[in-house]
Amino acid sequence: MTFLQQTMLWGLFAVSIPVIIHLLNRRRFRTVEWGAMQFLLKATRESRGKKRLKHILILLMRSLAIAALIFAIARPLVGGFLGWGGGSVETVILILDRSSSMERSEKDIQLSKRTSVLERVTEAMAELGEARLVLIDSATGIAQEVPSPDVLPELSFTAPTDSAADIPGMLVSALDYIQEAKPGRSEIWVASDLQREDWALDDSRWDAFRANLDGLDFNVKLRVLALNGRERNDFAIRVLSSRREAGEFVLDLELAREQDTGPTTKAVTISHLGARSATQVSFNGQSQRFQKRIPLEGAPGAGHGWVSIPDNANSRNNVSYYAYGKEAPVHAYLVTENATSSDALEALTKGLAPGFANQEVTVRQPSQAHQINFDSASLIVWKAPLPKPPVSNQLFEFVEKGGVTLFFPPEEDSDASFGGISWDPITQSPPDKFFIVDDWDHADGAFRDALGGAPLPLERIRAIKRRGLVGDFISLARWDDEEPLLARRVIGQGQVLFLSTLPDYTWSNFERTALHLVLLQRSFDDGNRRLGAGFFGVAGEDSAIPQGDEIRDRVDSYAEGDAGNVAYEAGVYRFGERTVAVNRPVGEDSIEMLTTAQLDAALLDTDYSLLEDKSSSSESFFSEAWRAFLIAMLLFLIIEALLCLQPKRVDTSTAPSPEPTS
Amino acid sequence: MGRAGIRSHLRSIRTPTPTPTRPLPFILPPPVKYDFLDSAVLSRLGALPIEARLAMIGNVAGKHRSPHRGSSVEFAEYRKYVPGDDTRRLDWKAYARSDRHYIKEFEADTNLRAYFVVDCSGSMKYASGEHDQKIQFARKFAATMAYLLVDQGDSAGLSCCDESIHLELPPSRRPAHLQNFFDVLSTLEPKGETGLVDALHTVAEKVGQRALIFIISDLFCDPQSFGDALQHLRYRKHDVAVFHLMDPQEINFDFTRPYRFVDLEDNTTIVAEPNLIAEEYDQAIREFLATVETKCHDVHADYHLVTSDQNYEEVLRDFLTTRLPKKGAR
Repeated sequence: MTFLQQTMLWGLFAVSIPVIIHLLNRRRFRTVEWGAMQFLLKATRESRGKKRLKHILILLMRSLAIAALIFAIARPLVGGFLGWGGGSVETVILILDRSSSMERSEKDIQLSKRTSVLERVTEAMAELGEARLVLIDSATGIAQEVPSPDVLPELSFTAPTDSAADIPGMLVSALDYIQEAKPGRSEIWVASDLQREDWALDDSRWDAFRANLDGLDFNVKLRVLALNGRERNDFAIRVLSSRREAGEFVLDLELAREQDTGPTTKAVTISHLGARSATQVSFNGQSQRFQKRIPLEGAPGAGHGWVSIPDNANSRNNVSYYAYGKEAPVHAYLVTENATSSDALEALTKGLAPGFANQEVTVRQPSQAHQINFDSASLIVWKAPLPKPPVSNQLFEFVEKGGVTLFFPPEEDSDASFGGISWDPITQSPPDKFFIVDDWDHADGAFRDALGGAPLPLERIRAIKRRGLVGDFISLARWDDEEPLLARRVIGQGQVLFLSTLPDYTWSNFERTALHLVLLQRSFDDGNRRLGAGFFGVAGEDSAIPQGDEIRDRVDSYAEGDAGNVAYEAGVYRFGERTVAVNRPVGEDSIEMLTTAQLDAALLDTDYSLLEDKSSSSESFFSEAWRAFLIAMLLFLIIEALLCLQPKRVDTSTAPSPEPTS
Repeated sequence: MGRAGIRSHLRSIRTPTPTPTRPLPFILPPPVKYDFLDSAVLSRLGALPIEARLAMIGNVAGKHRSPHRGSSVEFAEYRKYVPGDDTRRLDWKAYARSDRHYIKEFEADTNLRAYFVVDCSGSMKYASGEHDQKIQFARKFAATMAYLLVDQGDSAGLSCCDESIHLELPPSRRPAHLQNFFDVLSTLEPKGETGLVDALHTVAEKVGQRALIFIISDLFCDPQSFGDALQHLRYRKHDVAVFHLMDPQEINFDFTRPYRFVDLEDNTTIVAEPNLIAEEYDQAIREFLATVETKCHDVHADYHLVTSDQNYEEVLRDFLTTRLPKKGAR
């Protein structure tokens, strides 16, 4: 328990006063000559047990009354966060999560979690008196001393942002500050909504933090204020992807909510190049993906806009921005060996360029692979033995930069590998039997479910030939014998995909199911994202920072923005010649919260204290409890008085009144 | 010695001052050199006779009923004449009516022997606050009663006991005997343990003829043994009156702080916290009082619980008044 007047606690020695007085009284007896000794002896013999216990209770009540009075004078603070286990503090290091998820408020008239925590920290600092306050905010991650806690809510370093929070990074920064500044008895206060993405439990810095905290020369108390209440249902909208398609601009959108409360409709407003339009979107389930097509009317120029929904629990995730550049064709390369059958070649070629105006495919021999213009390529389909240096190096660099390469099994065996993955020899299915697909990832990868939620018919695939894979990869789809149908390996910002069979009737019925078209087009989209990524940025990350002499200028019409936090706010910005739509990180929309067990594991052996504030109310971290102690003192005194009351003597028939007769 | 003799003797032992508020109807002002005698009280109580509830056997004529036939004016019974009877006591009228010789007998009136057994054990020294010591109360009571007894022609004796009877005055109705009586009372010094029960047995054996026995004590002895002693006295046909002297504090036990209690009789010491034992003490004293009263009633003895904050005159007046014979009773 924290006391504002700790020196008054020395007064606790006064609890011994009743006992001392009692003992002194016992020694300071008077002597009286007494006649009726036989009754006195009898009474003394019989007065044991209950009476003695009663007497001890009286002494105890007196001592407790004094203790309660001393505690009341010492002005105790209770309330969980600062209440129990505290003491005098010289420096408080506040780690403030000011990510977009902290802007959530649980009631219409209530402050956001970030605002309420700032107010309460201000109050707490006022009560702690001389303690210094050092702020580490999630946007800058820099430790800076706050001259006065009163100005805390007004600082631009505490204003809301759309960036993510790097909690382990901030904790490490706090320890660095402590080790460097040696600020005396310190406490680290972490104010966060415990969003799992922000806490990055798998981060190796947790180990470093625990080790450093344990190795400090002085005791540093760690307190976590978990503002993890979720009373309201929050809706969020996000632009998943955007692209030009046959004279239209296609927006893939996702509308999500925290709790599935049944079918509903949500008004979605789209502002494209300043022109607004609204539409009602029917909504069922926890999240819904849908497309909006905006006619470009032949406009080949660049553009931008935003998509928003009405205000709800968190205003920061009600909008998502997009931007796009001038119309340009997207290019895919098909590298195919000579032995490729004409059916397979045709299926692949048609799958890559089914007739969309802006899609082009170029077929190359493996020996011509070095002629590929990797900078303009969206997708490279490799139907040949795995490349060897130097082509493999070029391809690897292409993938690292965000490119997508899709490998199909070659006819010829090769010992080459790419990204640590190599082909096994071709295997045939047993006679009159097929390889069939058993399981695939419905949420991720090229075979994910459609936007409307309908699954792809992978169970219809039958294969008689396939190649196995060796290496470190993730299976996005599996045959019934657990061998991979589609494997993925993420390299840098891009990915390589391996399909273990061919869209050729001598291999499988892929062509008849047209699933190879889905695979190729989705991979195309993923590859396009690399080229379109220049138009998208994530708040607080490098992609949202001007480069060189670029000057930042916000061009969207959704909000004004805070000049002091412009680097951490979502919006459409013009960086010199570039237009970038900056959005909040995907993780900020996550509803996955850190559990107490996970927090315990992350802060193992750190003796941290946790206050879960689910209501996110604006009440103080603590309240002074002196009234409670005064009431307790009164109670103790009343009990003592009741115990001291002599029981009423009851006359019995066998015990006549001792009144004298005459 | 007649009533005039008593008066003259009392005159000789009295001190000149003070003069009673009003002259005594029968006797001269009482001696006042003893602090346990109050002439005013004596004069006020002098009008009340001391009556025995049982027939007494005295050695001279007196005002108390005797089991024997005598010459009082109170008719007792007729009995047949037997040779040797005094012919002067023949009832000739009865002879005339019945032609038989009857002797007419009358009640005999005799004097009363009163015997005061005063407890002088150490506990009789106790006094709380402004109250008298219990022994002082006993002195006042015994002296006043003895005076009144001798004044009405009865005799008064005294036994003072602590661990045993250590002072004894045989009963006498001589006025000069009062001087000794008062002197003995004034020299009483409570000490030692109580030997009241043994003293009562001794008195029961020693007093041969019926007497009125006054027991003045705090009765801090075994109630059962005390009851046995009362039975003994009753067996010897004595009229017993018990004056149970208690200090108010011995009943109420109103101590408020720890005390070291030292026994007045055997100097036993105990440190006790009255708050803790008050209830048990109260229980014990109530049981004791109830037992003693029961024992007294079992033998038809008068029982009077007297606390030392009471006015002894009122106690005596009430005692004498309750002993007055009912109208028509003899």
